[in-house]
Amino acid sequence: MGQRRIVTGSALALTATLLLAACSGGSDSAGSSEDIDTAPKGDGQTLTIWTYESADSAMGIAWDKAMEKFTAETGAKVDFQLKSFEQINQSASQVLNSDSAPDVMEYNKGNATSGLLSSQGLLTDIGPAVEAYGWGDKLSSTLQTTAKYSDAGVMGTGNWYGIPNYGEYVQVYYNKDLFEKYDLEVPTTLDEFTTVLQKFKDEGITPLSESASEYPLGQLIYQLALLNADRQWVTDYQTYTAPADFHDANWTAAATTVKEWVDKGYISKNATGIKAQDAGDAFTAGTNPIFFSGSWWHGTFEKDAKFDWGTFLFPGATMSPGSSGNLWVVPEKSDAKDLAYKFIDITMSPEIQNLLGNNGGVPVAAEDDAITDEKSKELITNFNKLSEQDGLAFYPDWPAPSFYADLNSSLQELVNGTKTVDQVLDQMQADYDKGTEEYK
Amino acid sequence: MTWESRKGYWLYLIPGALLLTVIIVVPLGWNVYLSFTKYRGIKPPTWIGLENWQKLFQDEEFWASFQHSIAMVVAMVVLPTLIGLVLASLLFDLVGRRFGGKVVGLLRAVYYLPQILPIAIAAIVVGWILRPDDGALNEVLTAIGLGGHNWLGSPDTALLSVGAVLVWIQIGYPVVVFMSALQRIDPQLYEAAELDGANWWQRFRAITLSGIRPEIFVVVLTCTVAALKVFGPVYALTRGGPGSSTIVPSYYSYTEFFTAQQVGYGATIATALTVVVLVVAIFFVRAQFRLADEEER
Repeated sequence: MGQRRIVTGSALALTATLLLAACSGGSDSAGSSEDIDTAPKGDGQTLTIWTYESADSAMGIAWDKAMEKFTAETGAKVDFQLKSFEQINQSASQVLNSDSAPDVMEYNKGNATSGLLSSQGLLTDIGPAVEAYGWGDKLSSTLQTTAKYSDAGVMGTGNWYGIPNYGEYVQVYYNKDLFEKYDLEVPTTLDEFTTVLQKFKDEGITPLSESASEYPLGQLIYQLALLNADRQWVTDYQTYTAPADFHDANWTAAATTVKEWVDKGYISKNATGIKAQDAGDAFTAGTNPIFFSGSWWHGTFEKDAKFDWGTFLFPGATMSPGSSGNLWVVPEKSDAKDLAYKFIDITMSPEIQNLLGNNGGVPVAAEDDAITDEKSKELITNFNKLSEQDGLAFYPDWPAPSFYADLNSSLQELVNGTKTVDQVLDQMQADYDKGTEEYK
Repeated sequence: MTWESRKGYWLYLIPGALLLTVIIVVPLGWNVYLSFTKYRGIKPPTWIGLENWQKLFQDEEFWASFQHSIAMVVAMVVLPTLIGLVLASLLFDLVGRRFGGKVVGLLRAVYYLPQILPIAIAAIVVGWILRPDDGALNEVLTAIGLGGHNWLGSPDTALLSVGAVLVWIQIGYPVVVFMSALQRIDPQLYEAAELDGANWWQRFRAITLSGIRPEIFVVVLTCTVAALKVFGPVYALTRGGPGSSTIVPSYYSYTEFFTAQQVGYGATIATALTVVVLVVAIFFVRAQFRLADEEER
């Protein structure tokens, strides 16, 4: 029967309750950089590290090397535990409030994740370590945005609660072979991009590999909204400095364009039943020639695609979805904080950063001439271009913890035609307002 | 037996009572308490009285989720019980006598297999079969000229598709229970009925149905409770989508707990669901007692 317990959630609530028995109020004052031991001795100690990057990803490879270096330099052992994204995402607040908290862990950036935990006093204010090690000098101001949080847990200002090792952004992956076959150039404006989409459609090919079941379509609609937006628009949307209006020109144009692209067959209606992985697989299989998604796909395509492919930033855009990568955070309950800071510092060292860059990642502090892999160079060049023009616009689902699911749900209605553009925008507005109540 | 002589037996209830208290009663009480608070799962809850409950009664998504529960009851109770009755009777009465116990055992195991398959595994396989672009079902339908469909991604068919999967998962349970129940029925009754010229349908109605009524009650009760609480298949197959066309109360509660981090409101949904499950369970149990009393008379 697969009988579940009396109430879904009641047992979960109990677990949470038991773990919450020693509820933390807030962190003590962070101290100063002089309190940080930048050459900690770790003999006889163990540093517990949690991450959720696969072993063969750029981060997995780089961090594995960092752990080796850490042990060699400090003498401390490493207890490395690979978790799943879901595991950490769903239970971080309970675990970090217990004695099972790791000493240092990878955690998602943004108000709904690191922001929330920092506001609840579960993460260490690592400001003194940032000063002692000089990490601030290695991170551009946009990358610092996701590392600092206010008392209310809103990113961009306040104390340092995390350090990103890498950057990420969303770009267009395209099948060079098919572009060549149909005599198509890389588009530089939205009009040219639409022309390319139409040409593929004329050839009987659905041009865009899309998923409305998960994040890709959300990123596309946000990208379309960003086309005529400015930095202030993004700041207002992401940090609630002014009310977000989903019926403004940017969102209206974006939703209208998505609807048009579905109607014209540039995006398959089946996208509502397609997961992100399936959309990526369809690009890898050569089924759809264009895939608009994150830099985290780069390594996969490099490994699996059997055709020549390339990337370009979204045509006509100065801003795209993107940010720092996930953060190293130090739980307030960690009892090896100096060792945790040392480990973070090693991950920021040129050797580890270059390794990350040569394996399909986007390092934040690599040496330019140390990146030798051609495809990795292109990836990093695009990121640097975007970063230099202040074009990292974060992600559409960041403003509220529930907005990721809400946005997918609204976009499924848009693709299925069960709601009009106006109704979908109404729905997005209502979900956004409901989800961001906490922060106002 | 006097009270004095029975007193010793109460000692044996202590372990069970303790476990029940720790695993069920305390969390349930805590959950009910949380439904009157604002709580994000970390800092202590704040008492807000009936605010969550007022919000719940105006929450369209919550009411929609309960409507979908009715579809789940059809998929997990009505259809599997009816199909299970017919299958159990056919296996026991016809197949068993014509082909022997081994064939019946094999078929019973085949029907029961989806019950022991972890839902996560089943969902991966079903998800692959139902994939819109290159799923096995659409490939077959296209090959025979019917064309494919976006089964889990279209609001017209998502709930039906999840329902169909649930029917497949559930059928084994009533089949096994009813077949065990049929062992109780005196085979001479069937033989006598056959000698009197009763066909399979008449034997099924007059002997099978009336003979296994208590088991039918048990199956209907346990399956109804499971249907109202269904979570795994929805989580694994559709995450409540597309839009909110397959959302059910337990999944809604889960998203409020873990995604929106609104633990207080999640507890309100969970408490409301508990009340509904309790009412349904009490109704069934009382009906069963009434029936037993009538039979004794």
